[in-house]
Amino acid sequence: MKTFWVRAVNLLVIAALLIGYNAVLTLRDKDDQIAKLTAELESANLYKQAVLQSQDAAASGGAYTDGIWKGTAQGFGGDIQVEVTVEGGSITDISIVSAEKEDGAYLSMAEDIIPKIIDAQSAEVDTISGATFSSTGIRNAVTQALEEAAE
Amino acid sequence: MSKFDIHNLTKKQRRQMHSWLRAAIQLLYFLFLPSAYTAAFAGVKYIFTQLGAGEKIGLTSFVSVLIVLCLYTIVFGRFFCGFACAFGSFGDAVHALYVWVCKKIRKKPVKLPEKVTEKMTMLKYIVLAVIAILCFKGVYSQTQGYSPWDVFSMLHAFNFKLGGYVLGVVLLVLIMIGMALQERFFCRFLCPMGAVFSWLPMLPFFTLRREREQCIKGCSACTKQCPSDIGLPEAGSLDVSGDCFQCQKCIDTCPRANIHCGLPGIKGNEVIFTIIRALILFGLFIWLGI
Repeated sequence: MKTFWVRAVNLLVIAALLIGYNAVLTLRDKDDQIAKLTAELESANLYKQAVLQSQDAAASGGAYTDGIWKGTAQGFGGDIQVEVTVEGGSITDISIVSAEKEDGAYLSMAEDIIPKIIDAQSAEVDTISGATFSSTGIRNAVTQALEEAAE
Repeated sequence: MSKFDIHNLTKKQRRQMHSWLRAAIQLLYFLFLPSAYTAAFAGVKYIFTQLGAGEKIGLTSFVSVLIVLCLYTIVFGRFFCGFACAFGSFGDAVHALYVWVCKKIRKKPVKLPEKVTEKMTMLKYIVLAVIAILCFKGVYSQTQGYSPWDVFSMLHAFNFKLGGYVLGVVLLVLIMIGMALQERFFCRFLCPMGAVFSWLPMLPFFTLRREREQCIKGCSACTKQCPSDIGLPEAGSLDVSGDCFQCQKCIDTCPRANIHCGLPGIKGNEVIFTIIRALILFGLFIWLGI
């Protein structure tokens, strides 16, 4: 029974350390965010930046033709089919139509690549480590859909 | 149908029934829920990768599988290893095939000496440490193609594009040879997830014990049958061995039927309890969406 308690205490210490680690990072994130926001506020170029950014967006937008585009690629166990929605020339939504042979836990992990693609407005993003096969499949399927949208 | 009267089974019939039940549970988990093991271990890898990169640890699907499996193991022991892990079941099948072939050609199966196996149990902690360090340093992704588990899960998914996986295939073949010679070779010696499980504080309520004073003097049938060569703790003791896979094989081996679960409601009904544990685990997996 002694080993049980030693192990229980160890496990609690590990759990507490991980939770503490996360809490510290959350605090730091918040500090960073506050610092960033203040800096932005103070910056006299705020308006200018916004204008530049919107010009950028307008320039990069229009790269794709509006519509819903489909793409398919090999995932882990089989094909993954996606639908990419393009509105106003930019990618607004990506949904997975079918991924029958993919594994639940892995697929939901791999879906994290979707916001990355939408942010980058391109499929050229890093894959999700731990779910390499499924996320590569999603990425390649989106690439295929975007090729159609670019034509 | 007096032959199937469950209360009047001979010892041999009972043992056969139990091994069929075990095989059936293993087969169902193998076919329909094969990825829990890799998902849980991906959780371990993810935690170390995030720590190494100084990033936050999110409650991803891998981490939740890891947490749920650890909690289940704390309560019920390593039942997952014994009945539900696809790689463990694969090892059982390889070993059973080897023993069957040996029987057919009338040769004695080769076994690893106990002195060697005792030392090899430590290997899994080294495997875990090496993988954890690689993840922490952020270089684990460069080892893609080395992992025998990746090769195994690709084969399981009928994905035969094994071009970049030469080392992984070689390792898998070596492990399969080990699996044949020693029951639960991988689980006992190499499994990094097993290393994590064996460190968990397992509750002593549902594990098996023997009534030592009723044992035949010098008999060690249960230890010989045990895939981990465990000498069971005495009834009333609260010790739990981290290497017990809850395979329940010792129960039927004991010539005096001395081996039981300590809890009054379960004592004598260990088979039903096995089915209940399998169902609880199944429910948890469905809930997790594996």
